[in-house]
Amino acid sequence: MKTIFHYFLIICCLGISVSSQAKALPEDLTWQSNTTSESWASNKAEKGGTFTDFILAFPPTLRTVGPDSNSSFRSYINANQLGLTGFHPNSLKIIPQIASHWAYGNDGKTVYYKLDKNAKWSDGEKVDADDFLFTVDFMRSEHIHAPWYNNYYKEQILDVTKYDDHTISVTGAVARPKDELHYYYGLTPTPKHFYKEIKKGWVKKHNWKIIPNTGPYQISKVKKGKQIELSRKKDWWAKDYKFNKNRFNVDKVRLKVIRDANIAYKHFEKGELDSFSLVQPEFWHNKAKGKLYDNGYLEKVVFYNDMPRSSSGLFLNLDNPILKDKQVRLGLAHALNFQRVIDTVLRGDYERLQAFHTGYGDYSNKSLKARAFDLGKANQLLDQSGWQQRGGDGIRIKAGKRLSLDLSYGRKEHNERWSIIKQGALKAGIELNLKLQDSSSHYKTIMQKQHQLASLGWSTGFRPAFWQHFHSDNAHKPQTNNITNMDDKKMDGLIMAYRSETSEEKRKTLSKQVAQIIHDSAAFIPDFKVPYTRGAHWRWLQFPETPATKTSGSLYSPFSDGGLFWIKKDLKVETKGARKSKTKYVAQNKTFDQFRVGK
Amino acid sequence: MLSPQAKQRWMRFKSQKRGFYSLVLIGILVFLSLIAELWVNNRPIVVSYQGELYFPTYGDIIPGKEFDLDYQWETNYKELQTAFEKQDGNWLIMPLVPFNPFENNFIEGEYPPYAPSLEHSHFLGTDMAGRDVLARLVYGFRIAILFSLFLLAVSYTVGIILGALMGYLGGTFDLIFQRLIEILSNVPILYIIMIVASIITPNFWTLALLLAAFSWMGLTWYMRTETYRESTREYVLAARSIGASNWRIMFKHILPNSVSILITFFPFSVVSGITALTSLDYLGFGLPVPTPSWGELLQQGTSNLEYQWIAGSAVVALSLILTLVTFIGEAIREAFDPKKYSYFE
Repeated sequence: MKTIFHYFLIICCLGISVSSQAKALPEDLTWQSNTTSESWASNKAEKGGTFTDFILAFPPTLRTVGPDSNSSFRSYINANQLGLTGFHPNSLKIIPQIASHWAYGNDGKTVYYKLDKNAKWSDGEKVDADDFLFTVDFMRSEHIHAPWYNNYYKEQILDVTKYDDHTISVTGAVARPKDELHYYYGLTPTPKHFYKEIKKGWVKKHNWKIIPNTGPYQISKVKKGKQIELSRKKDWWAKDYKFNKNRFNVDKVRLKVIRDANIAYKHFEKGELDSFSLVQPEFWHNKAKGKLYDNGYLEKVVFYNDMPRSSSGLFLNLDNPILKDKQVRLGLAHALNFQRVIDTVLRGDYERLQAFHTGYGDYSNKSLKARAFDLGKANQLLDQSGWQQRGGDGIRIKAGKRLSLDLSYGRKEHNERWSIIKQGALKAGIELNLKLQDSSSHYKTIMQKQHQLASLGWSTGFRPAFWQHFHSDNAHKPQTNNITNMDDKKMDGLIMAYRSETSEEKRKTLSKQVAQIIHDSAAFIPDFKVPYTRGAHWRWLQFPETPATKTSGSLYSPFSDGGLFWIKKDLKVETKGARKSKTKYVAQNKTFDQFRVGK
Repeated sequence: MLSPQAKQRWMRFKSQKRGFYSLVLIGILVFLSLIAELWVNNRPIVVSYQGELYFPTYGDIIPGKEFDLDYQWETNYKELQTAFEKQDGNWLIMPLVPFNPFENNFIEGEYPPYAPSLEHSHFLGTDMAGRDVLARLVYGFRIAILFSLFLLAVSYTVGIILGALMGYLGGTFDLIFQRLIEILSNVPILYIIMIVASIITPNFWTLALLLAAFSWMGLTWYMRTETYRESTREYVLAARSIGASNWRIMFKHILPNSVSILITFFPFSVVSGITALTSLDYLGFGLPVPTPSWGELLQQGTSNLEYQWIAGSAVVALSLILTLVTFIGEAIREAFDPKKYSYFE
């Protein structure tokens, strides 16, 4: 999100228009579609049944824009509102959704779309070009009270043109590689026939309105504060399409509000929830064990995915007099024993993150390896940098100054890991003063660039973003994301080249070059990543041979790229009987590592 | 020397067996915690290496190369001990609990926390980061009690002086400070500390001074009332008539006569200091990580209830200390009870 936000800031808008008069299509368009990518569902899937999951809080509204709409429930609504195109979750190629075909303009920032003539709203109305034009009017309206969207649709989406009822084009603010055009400028339709016009009071009026949608499920029952139910559309217009076939199998998705994960886990054990995500080590190791698992009623699955990982680690402030010295930074990187943390308190569940951008496919520089704990190297580097003297407490001294650095972090759950790192660094003669702050003041300290070493993880984007984090334009001043204060002319040049380049191949090369400089500077010390998703489910929940996709964040997502599982009713009856008669099945503990990176 | 009255009170206190033994016990515990380095430490008490004796307990670290090991950082004495077992002539004596409170001790093939075991010398087990619970309890107690005593010293000094001045001087001074105290007493101290602690990471001194800044008021009221009452007594008038200064009257004459009130509060102030620090640590707004602390142990214990020894140790230790102090407080109150023992001539 930050990535996108920064792109806004640098762009000013000129001549925004949404034209509704019929214009002529350019003649040299090459229409494309995707019918060749493989389906990721299983033809064994059966329709039917109710899938029950839980949400920690009841959503404060069913709107997806406007005040209070940013709750986690929004993703369930948005997942059932299809866009023009989507991404294939394994190959990351563009696949059709509401647009059956697309073509690229010569300006590098326009995409033409042919809309699927079968596309229908859940109330039976046809989806047409006007619904896309209306999206822009809607998102720019002040009455929806959504400044972020107002801004995005004013400054990023420069033009949406209708050529006929089923042909449109979208023009964005800057030229980008083709795939990225879909990501940044792809639109979702808004039902014009339903809203008619956006007036004052829109926010209040639509708090609990169920809006027509285009996806496989629609909200069918809302019990305020308790549960929300979504039902499968029996005659969904896209149900037999290649990439939707054998997916979205359950008739109903029931989301119960359970305000505590520990209690929700008890519901799961009773069979009231069909699945439970167990990424957290304490759940996986301490709770998910016992008879239910040993007797094979509950099955455990670990699924290694390959998706962009949070850039998580220690950010070194290069404006600090001690950290200015690259030798010290390199020495420090070798003095931090992340592997020991992984092997002990993290129970071997996590892996070392190797570089700033990991999991971005060819955009990541896979040759980079995070510096390993090596006291020999650390001591050598620190000795060379003039810190060879040690005080009585074993801490290095240079010109009367101790090698003592503040390490600030924002989560008390991380106390243990930093305590272990601190003990390791002592051996290299470095004193780390652990500064735990609450997360918002931690973030504030960093934004004001008052930190020395700061632990932070940036959220991921579609493509690596460098300008905000490493360009000298953002160095030495508060409230920017260049929190290392990196200020390197060579780096600036590469970043600007990366930003303006529209050829994917060249961008990949540039991205790798920038990554190399980041690595060489040792201004960022990567810490951990979770390379998988995992969970447990009742044995009646069935999956394709590969239960999820390369980019799946969860095994049990009923919508979006998911919806792969199905419920076998006879197994459900059988399992309930077996629990009573204490019949045992073979315990299931599956690991899927086909997408594991560097296995 | 003790005055006859004080001597009598001491005798009365001693006759309250439960309170007296609690005092003895707590005295021993405090003493043991003060010399914790000698019995809970990862440094040995004495090392004999090639005929030379080393006493590493206090003072600078002894780097590994001192014992011909190939590193510059502090010697790993547990490894050294294993190595010495194969050598003749070299030996070392490790303390009873061979861990310091910061040391992460990991057992090959197992994940922390480790249950109490004699084999690994973790008598109360370890916490989530593999640190010895007993070591953290002992050092945590030392910090808590010193913290509490320091807090007490500051808030008593301020409280007594201001209270005495208010009671003795009266008038505008009294009025102004009364209002000030009323305002300060209504400040929600816990929130203030949380806010401050979330912005800066407090250390021992800043946290103690911050707490002290809001905890002197309670005592001031009692001291003020006491001084107010005592200042009209004959002995005060007598002192004044022979020209004693205000300062002398307040602190030489009135204070010793009001001491009984102060002393009765003493044990409970110690307790409130310990609980304040523990609860702040528990909430994560106390002393910086990884300072050993009971609150932090409680926090780890309650979020990982399946490892009962963590929460168990902290709860037992906390209850023990609080009970002992309550017994002492009770005995002091008895000893100073004017109704029971005072007589007028």
